[in-house]
Amino acid sequence: MMNNAIVLDGVNHQLNDKPFFKDLSIELREKRIGLIGRNGSGKSTLARMISGLIEPEAGEIRVHGVDIAKDRKKAIETIGLIFQNPDHQIIFPTVEEEIAFGLESLSGNRKQAREGARSFLASFGRLDWAERGTFTLSQGQRHLVCLMAVLAMQPKAVLLDEPFAGLDWPTTRRLYHWLDGLEQQVVLVTHDIDHLESYDRILWLEKGQLIADGAPADVLPAYREKMERLVFSDDEILGPGLPATNGEQG
Amino acid sequence: MLSLTVEQRSWMHRLPVWLKLLLLCLFTLVLWPLADWRLLLASCLPVVLLYASAGRYFAKLGAQRLKPVVYLVAIIFIYQVVTGRIEEGLAICLKIIATVSLANLVTMTSRLDDMMAVIETLAKPFHALGLPPRALGFAMGLVIRFTPLFLQRGTQLNQAWRARSPRRTSPRLLVPLALSAIDDADRVAEALKARGGLQNTKTKETQSDSAPQ
Repeated sequence: MMNNAIVLDGVNHQLNDKPFFKDLSIELREKRIGLIGRNGSGKSTLARMISGLIEPEAGEIRVHGVDIAKDRKKAIETIGLIFQNPDHQIIFPTVEEEIAFGLESLSGNRKQAREGARSFLASFGRLDWAERGTFTLSQGQRHLVCLMAVLAMQPKAVLLDEPFAGLDWPTTRRLYHWLDGLEQQVVLVTHDIDHLESYDRILWLEKGQLIADGAPADVLPAYREKMERLVFSDDEILGPGLPATNGEQG
Repeated sequence: MLSLTVEQRSWMHRLPVWLKLLLLCLFTLVLWPLADWRLLLASCLPVVLLYASAGRYFAKLGAQRLKPVVYLVAIIFIYQVVTGRIEEGLAICLKIIATVSLANLVTMTSRLDDMMAVIETLAKPFHALGLPPRALGFAMGLVIRFTPLFLQRGTQLNQAWRARSPRRTSPRLLVPLALSAIDDADRVAEALKARGGLQNTKTKETQSDSAPQ
């Protein structure tokens, strides 16, 4: 229990051949962490670095004591990554195979992994999904499969990269609610800041730099205000003001 | 090899696409019978100069996009060395590098729809044989558009794999990669259909009604 934190130490990393993350150091001990920022702020790259999929060019990242970029065997026991789009995460044609894959990686035993996947599905009351084709599932069901596939591996931390996009309101709320109950450390990358109010700590990233880091009550209102101001001003993502439309007076 | 067009402009963007393709064609024809590696090495010089004339960023990108070819060339060269034909091997490799780099440059400096228009014009004579020129131009355009996407899809699957397995990616991933390519093809077909696609040409009659529903 000594080392249950995500620690970035002097991380430097380039994006498109330009220095992007410059000497980024953070220590995340809180149980619920939100990561916010605009498109292109580096959230997804940071998520991939924390998951060990991208190794920073300089600096060190340890998740619960594990060097996740080098020690991949330990890494997959330690941190699970939920991708933005379930179609990017789901590898296998049936639900059972998809869930068994991670378990097989952990145990090295295919038969045991299949049994594990079935009992895990049963514990979710979804045993009837085992034989179903992952492509026949609805969007919301696919998101749930992604969550189950990662949680079946019992990682110590779960990182979600803008999950649940395109899901209807009740489904999103239900998944978030369930997420809140997990015992794992959770890092949530999102634009959906309403869900972050109950979180312990919010990181606000822009262009690879931390703009703000603190409690939701301090960071979220500032973020909202800044984003509101950008709606009607020129900015670097969409460029200068858009032409007036009929519905707009003056 | 099929590189995306580059956002940054250069003077070569302003040349008509047919001219660029013609020059590429001539360049290839002139190089092909050559066997002396010294001459072929010299033929790389104008290509390098063209890249350089478009700026440092361009030259760098061009070099990056040559990477997949370098592996191929290396294999060919090793084979030639093993079979004792070093000079021939050198000649073939230089030939490939020069022509592929120039072809890359044409792709990088041309708009996709201009390229498609040239292909359509060239394909007109084959119309009588039942080959719809518009569909052919379209198909080539789609290949150029979707190759990078396909590679990206490969990267994503690779990440999805590595996120849950300490082992290196296995050839097992080829199956989902192929399936997702087919899936993407369905979606593209839908998107084409949604905006009128190839409907206004003769293809409508020649194609079966197998469009995905």
